[in-house]
Amino acid sequence: MVISQEEHLKELDKGYRFDWKDASHSVFEPKRGLSPAVVEEISSLKSEPDWMRKRRLKALEHFEARPMPWWGADLSDIDFENIFYFIRSTEKQAGNWDELPDDIKGTWDKLGIPEAEKKYLGGVSAQYESEVVYHKIKKELDDIGVLFTDMDSALRDYPDLVKEHFGTLIPSNDNKFAALNTAVWSGGSFIYVPPGVQVDIPLQAYFRINAENMGQFERTLIIADEGSYVHYVEGCSAPIYSSDSLHSAVVEIKAMKGARVRYTTIQNWSTNVYNLVTKRAAAYEDAVMEWVDGNIGSKVTMKYPSIYLLGEGARGEVLSVAYAGKGMHTDAGGKAIHAAPHTTSVITSKSVSKDGGRTGYRGLVRVEPDAHHAKSNVRCDALILDDDSRSDTYPYIEVEDETASLGHEATVSKVGEDQLFYLMSRGLSEVEATAMIVNGFIEPITRELPMEYAVELNRLVELQMEGSVG
Amino acid sequence: MTTFDRAALDALPIAPGSTGAIRERAFAQFEALPVPSQETEEWRYTDLSDFSLDFVPHAPGHGDGAPPTDSDGLAASILQHNSSVVMTTSGQDLESRGVIFCDLDLAAEKYPELVDPNLHDLVPTDRTKFTALHGAFRTGGTFLYVPADVGVEMPLQTVTYLDADGAAVFPHTLLIAERGAEVTFIDRYVSPDLERGLSDAVTEIVVGDGAHVRYASIQEWGNGVTHLSVQRTRLGRDADFRSLAVGFGASLARAEVEAVLAEPGGFSELLGVFFADEDQHFDHRSVQDHAAPNCTSDLLYKGALLDRSRAVYSGWVHVRPDAQKTIAMQTSRNMVLSEHAKADAIPNLEIEANDVRCGHAASVGPVEEETLFYLQSRGIPRDEAERLVVTGFFQEVLDRVTLEEVRTGAELAIQEELQRAI
Repeated sequence: MVISQEEHLKELDKGYRFDWKDASHSVFEPKRGLSPAVVEEISSLKSEPDWMRKRRLKALEHFEARPMPWWGADLSDIDFENIFYFIRSTEKQAGNWDELPDDIKGTWDKLGIPEAEKKYLGGVSAQYESEVVYHKIKKELDDIGVLFTDMDSALRDYPDLVKEHFGTLIPSNDNKFAALNTAVWSGGSFIYVPPGVQVDIPLQAYFRINAENMGQFERTLIIADEGSYVHYVEGCSAPIYSSDSLHSAVVEIKAMKGARVRYTTIQNWSTNVYNLVTKRAAAYEDAVMEWVDGNIGSKVTMKYPSIYLLGEGARGEVLSVAYAGKGMHTDAGGKAIHAAPHTTSVITSKSVSKDGGRTGYRGLVRVEPDAHHAKSNVRCDALILDDDSRSDTYPYIEVEDETASLGHEATVSKVGEDQLFYLMSRGLSEVEATAMIVNGFIEPITRELPMEYAVELNRLVELQMEGSVG
Repeated sequence: MTTFDRAALDALPIAPGSTGAIRERAFAQFEALPVPSQETEEWRYTDLSDFSLDFVPHAPGHGDGAPPTDSDGLAASILQHNSSVVMTTSGQDLESRGVIFCDLDLAAEKYPELVDPNLHDLVPTDRTKFTALHGAFRTGGTFLYVPADVGVEMPLQTVTYLDADGAAVFPHTLLIAERGAEVTFIDRYVSPDLERGLSDAVTEIVVGDGAHVRYASIQEWGNGVTHLSVQRTRLGRDADFRSLAVGFGASLARAEVEAVLAEPGGFSELLGVFFADEDQHFDHRSVQDHAAPNCTSDLLYKGALLDRSRAVYSGWVHVRPDAQKTIAMQTSRNMVLSEHAKADAIPNLEIEANDVRCGHAASVGPVEEETLFYLQSRGIPRDEAERLVVTGFFQEVLDRVTLEEVRTGAELAIQEELQRAI
């Protein structure tokens, strides 16, 4: 879907489309920096049970004790003391858009969330800074027992369910940033789908950072009970500032026997956001877990959605698309751990780097002993659009069972001259032709997205191609 | 505790020429450097934390008991027995054409202008604790120099034979092919089964502009030997380098093979064949470093695993920012033939130029049941069918080996393993 040159120029004037700032909306004066007192304060503002408060404090110790990762992207510029760890923007959560302050509501309108909610979503959660400011689920879903709420409310309303599952897939000391999230988490989604229930329309969460130096630490837990289905979609954006913000989420998903969960992300943070996210799913007997992971924005992304195939016949799929432009480093990928017989996984990664950007695929496929007849296929393709840009591929394959069958393939190339020549000979400009080729290149991912997101992604690619050639 | 101490260093034969300075410097590095830790990416899959550096530091050899060197079909050969080069034979008049082929220590004394700039240039002694140990305690080794535009038709070969139980050997090959030269060289590592032994090997190959070098290393150490080797080659403009690594022996073998395409137009082919059984641990690492434009490199490693053996392949393709028009391929295939064998593959790409064609592929899997079923349905017994499939699996690499003797040798060794195993 190539847009006209004129439209291109119009869009280009706008630059990053999500760059607007609302006036500060803090219920109390936010503080920078991290300490046990900050953690205690978050916990107390939320009137949490004691076990969660203790969990947070313990996690803070883990965070402080752990070194920064020595591998992956350069994180040395993160100034943990300059970050706001908690900003409360509204006194209470709204169930109706009109209850929100005007400019916050304006932000959601510009993002098109209320409109999308009307048209094609089963529920919406809108997080602004640290907390979910708007939340709603369709009555029909509510009636059949689907729980979809923000994580803070879930801890209050379903304490036993949360306590049973929270941190079981990603323990608080799993890695430095999971520890940080556990210490200061706020917001995020909680979903429970009862046995056999098929949620046919997607549930969506949108995460917006507004303040400079904001730290957003949402926490998401999804439990799809036996034989159920749910598709969860998340999007995110932030204004452009001159100094950095930090987004560090933790997402845990359990797909019980025969369940299917699809988790779609379109990450479009502004290029001053560090996006350091831990996502992990467990797939039990005959369950299907799918990560569709689009990383278009951010300054630095390090994110490797993983699937633990724990039950016989479980299947996992990761579809990853990454883009890195000027000053960006997107280190994405996926992991599949085969821990039961007859499990299968497919990882497909497509990346595009341009204007000095750096994309990386980093992945692991592991077959545990006795996980016999595991099958896995990994395919990574990278396009490098100019000679300042870079692409890396770091795939790990570890096999401890002789009946496993694993394959990995990767290619790195530039846009084919002959393809460009052909399209231009049909009257397309070089920009249009390049955009079309790149869109074709990432098509295996876009065809898996809800239509609105696919359109958005294609449009982004076209915009990013502007100025790349000429 | 280590036997590689100051007293042992002082007891070594006198180091000729510049090697005395290297020895001292390397010894200081050896003492300062830590044993490589599994915490580092480079040593993630090989655990040497409990490895005791307790070996006889220097074991003179006299040639007694060494396998007879068959020099048929060879232009020249060297036999190194334990720590000493004991025999150099030359079947052709190489000297008159300016070819030098001799004990590395002898070369350091006689040809310092050739040896000094190149010895430990590609593989610096401070690379790891083990290359430092090598630099400090090496005696013997091979020096091969081929002047510009000289072609040596028949291969040259060095056999390093270790039979001193508990001893360490430090095989070193320094091969320099000047502009337009052509040469083929084979390193063979041979020993009986030992209680313990250490082979700490370094190979440095300089391929001049337009030169053609074929290099094969055949590693057939007996059980008990730990083999740690680094092979690094620098390719000049339009140079052509073809390398084959065959690994059957040793209890633990860690072999690093690196090619630096330093000038435009270079071509590098790195082939590997290995067959692991019992408790063998193979850690193969490769680097294809494209530092100049218009170069091509290809890598194909194939291995089969039996019993409780373990094999790791990890490879890097680096394409530097100026290395436009690079073509680089990297393929690792592993056939797992028994329940308790393990294979890991990590083929990495780091690409900093855009006008390139790079790709890699890796696979780990068993002999396909369907193929076996097909062969069995044609009346071939199952074990015979399995042997056929594995033979065919290796044939893809062996077909690319132009050295007749090396190829048939490898084919025989594979058949022997298969007869025993299946």
